[in-house]
Amino acid sequence: MRYALYRAAFYGGLVALWHVIHASGVLPPGVLPSPYEVAEDLAFGATEGGLFYGIATSMWRLLAGLGIAVGGGVALGVLMARSEAVNQTAGSLVLGLQSIPSIAWVPLAILWYGLTDAGIIFVVAVGAVFAVTINTYTGVRNIDPHHIEAARNMGAGGAQLLFSVLLPAAFPHMITGFKQGWAFAWRGVIGAELLFAFLGLGHLLYAARSLTDVSYVMAIMLVIMAIGLVVDGVVFRRAEDAVMSRWGLRR
Amino acid sequence: MKIEARGIRKGFRSGSHSLEALGGIDLGVEAGEFLCIVGPSGCGKSTFLRIAAGLDAADGGSLLFDGRPVSGTGPERIMVFQEGALFPWMDVQDNVEFGLRMAGLPRAERAEISARYLDMMQLSRFSRYYTYQLSTGMKQRVAIARALAMDPDVLLMDEPFAALDEGTRNLLLGEVQQIWARTAKTVIFVTHNVEEAAVLGTRIAVFGSRPSEVRAVVENGLPRPRAAGDPGLGPVKAEISAALGGAP
Repeated sequence: MRYALYRAAFYGGLVALWHVIHASGVLPPGVLPSPYEVAEDLAFGATEGGLFYGIATSMWRLLAGLGIAVGGGVALGVLMARSEAVNQTAGSLVLGLQSIPSIAWVPLAILWYGLTDAGIIFVVAVGAVFAVTINTYTGVRNIDPHHIEAARNMGAGGAQLLFSVLLPAAFPHMITGFKQGWAFAWRGVIGAELLFAFLGLGHLLYAARSLTDVSYVMAIMLVIMAIGLVVDGVVFRRAEDAVMSRWGLRR
Repeated sequence: MKIEARGIRKGFRSGSHSLEALGGIDLGVEAGEFLCIVGPSGCGKSTFLRIAAGLDAADGGSLLFDGRPVSGTGPERIMVFQEGALFPWMDVQDNVEFGLRMAGLPRAERAEISARYLDMMQLSRFSRYYTYQLSTGMKQRVAIARALAMDPDVLLMDEPFAALDEGTRNLLLGEVQQIWARTAKTVIFVTHNVEEAAVLGTRIAVFGSRPSEVRAVVENGLPRPRAAGDPGLGPVKAEISAALGGAP
């Protein structure tokens, strides 16, 4: 509660400072709009500027890409953890591919898919998949061997072992992978939309830049930050807390 | 289930040199017997148990259950691990029902079986608890209930009380004897604790250090129930300690 107060004071102070700098005229005109102008643009965007449509477009691309990344990453991570042959071969490739920033996939995505949703979803998926893979791999590798032995002893094998023991046992690591995957996906989708220039928040940003509308650029950046904050700090924070305490990893 | 081990050998390779853990174990266990295995740390007593469970394969020798060799694990031989190996993502009841669910038993039947064993282990109040909410002693009770729910012929217990405080251990020593008397399971119980072995075992097999063989089998016909600290255990404990070579 005390920190909520601190936080309100901090952001209030920041906006006040911003206002003072804007009003003082030390910066050349057009560089820093006033907080009021940015708020006005936010309101405009929300009412008739297609901001919500942009958010919805970016979100569905993100969710589609992240869904593919989670499915593929979990499957690959489990395979790598359970088969040394896969680990020694595909595992090194995964490490290499992970070092490619997702934005670097954009040219290839455009060549393969054209300026389509599929191209953007590809960039998102490929940017997020390896974080999920590596964390799933770590999670499965770190399972207490007695858990697997006890499960086998009680008759679990194949798919039963996978779904009843391996995945739930690895889940605390996997959720970290999903969180990292989301972070890569979110950066990926905005970056790709900027370059694809085809709907979404990234495209709005691009369009505002083309119109040299500094305050609208800043308004959209605030939206991007706010969404990131909510998903990271609320959605994943809560999910992680719930999993960690259920699994007995944190009191 | 009658168990006969003949010449069970097992080595472990670490780097360039290999280490012989079991140097030919000959051991017979009668059906319905409570056999304890004691020995110094690292003598391979747990390795022997793991081979009996089918979790490890022996390098040589033969192991017969009711006269037949078995390979791999089986629901008729259930292991109880030292730390319990409970699944933290499941509550107590789901843990106890795990094997039954794997076997495809319908929910109502599973609930009936788990209720019976949770009651037997005095855990009924805790059926919806998660493992992080349980004490070490309660976890071990759940692990035993989970093993019993499989209705195995043989219970293989690997130092299940090693991590317990003395009070809890004494309580469980009593409970395990009662359950053994009620269910007529064959039990192989590995421990490094002479007192535990003297309280529980109908016979106590003493393993020597690596490469281990069975040094002695101590008969224990003392009347039950027995409790830790009974003065009557003295001679049996002395006999076990003598076979261990004076080590406590």
